[in-house]
Amino acid sequence: MLFKMFLRSFFIQAGWNYERFQSLGFAFALQPALEKAWPDREKLKAALLRHLQIFNTQPYMASFVIGNIARMEERAAEAGEDQLKHMPGVKQALASSFASIGDRIFWGRLKPMTVQICLLVWSACGFYGWLFTGMDGAVSFGVLLAGPLAGIAAYSVFSVYIRWKGLKAGYACGGSANCALDAANWPRLIRLLSAAGFAMSLAIALLAFGLLAGFNCGSCRPVDMLLKLGLPLAVLALHRVMRAFGRSVFFSAGLILAASVLLFSLLGLQPFELYL
Amino acid sequence: MTAVLKAAVSAALAGLLGLDAVQAGQFLLSRPALVGPLLGWLNGCPLEGAKIGILLELLYIDFIPVGGVVPPNGCAAAAAGVLAHSAGGLAPSMAFFVGVAAGVGYAPLEYRLRASRSGLNAFIDAQVSAGDFRLRRWLARAMLVENLALGGYVLAVAGAAALVNLLPGVARLYPGTDFAYSLMPWLGLSGLYFRFRTQIYKKG
Repeated sequence: MLFKMFLRSFFIQAGWNYERFQSLGFAFALQPALEKAWPDREKLKAALLRHLQIFNTQPYMASFVIGNIARMEERAAEAGEDQLKHMPGVKQALASSFASIGDRIFWGRLKPMTVQICLLVWSACGFYGWLFTGMDGAVSFGVLLAGPLAGIAAYSVFSVYIRWKGLKAGYACGGSANCALDAANWPRLIRLLSAAGFAMSLAIALLAFGLLAGFNCGSCRPVDMLLKLGLPLAVLALHRVMRAFGRSVFFSAGLILAASVLLFSLLGLQPFELYL
Repeated sequence: MTAVLKAAVSAALAGLLGLDAVQAGQFLLSRPALVGPLLGWLNGCPLEGAKIGILLELLYIDFIPVGGVVPPNGCAAAAAGVLAHSAGGLAPSMAFFVGVAAGVGYAPLEYRLRASRSGLNAFIDAQVSAGDFRLRRWLARAMLVENLALGGYVLAVAGAAALVNLLPGVARLYPGTDFAYSLMPWLGLSGLYFRFRTQIYKKG
């Protein structure tokens, strides 16, 4: 039953909508436990309708709530439906707590780290097309796939593990509003991920500037070299300034595009080639 | 004909991979960094696909899908960008910016699709109340609609790119788009760097 629920939890957002959010996916994931707990069709119907009400949390962390509620439903079937009166509160409390934790871990840290892993793998394989857009040459398709797949594999192993662990932990301590919140040292994990992400960011930044300087060493005058290094710094500064004014990265990209087209396409100035 | 067929297959694949973003799995198979080289390989330009994909990824990583917010769609961006180059015939630099716009443009459509699913809740309640507990059909239907919408959208953008490519003087824009494209890695790296730099100064 737990494994069935685990597989179904991968579709928790399939029916996502603005009225009840993940309710359809949640009821679908919980269905095996409900069918086991309530053999009577009328009671099963009531249980399904109960869980088709509004529900929303971080999708990977939803399994903590699914496991918990599965156990609560089982207890209610055994000990009486009085047990159900606390269920909406417990469900809501856990959904909010795990959403906050999950957003920080998965969206805020692990997801950007997959990009960093991709860039580092490509660099280790000698592919620098991520930095030099004009770079041409033979790169095997295997290398091009290895970068993104390395990040995705690391991310997926962790997310699948959390989904399974969450389901088991939630099922084991089902019924309490703080169930499985101590399943891991979340603040420590968040701090560690932040530090690892920053270390990789720093490595990639040094690598990028090193590559830019290295590839141009000897092939251009010191003045050109300074310009080539100064231009990326200007882009970094533009990004920071625009962010300070609450503008998204697309605004900066649009500004760069508009200025470039104006100078080099419409006014016909000679483009300064940043890349080799 | 082959190019049209390849574009159609690529759009269908993009629709399928796009489901991973929200509706099924969420293994990050829909990220531009993977969609780019994959569709590039399918269309004979894996290197350009990889470059377009990773640069889109670096820009799109800035957006977080919290609290039901619909961020720009990275899968639509990468697929449209690669097809604008391979099937539409635009230079990679211009195809990249077409991809950026396509990803942003798909967000309102995705919002409407999500909003339209709210109307299904009453039907689902009625079905369950009538004793029919098969919920998977609603999930399958939602995924099919999303798949078709994304695939159709990507194909439409590729078609529009092909039409733009027929306009006289498009090539005159390329010196400007090439230069802007060469600066995009730095814009993306800046976002990536400052995201984590900000985090390590936070507690918890």
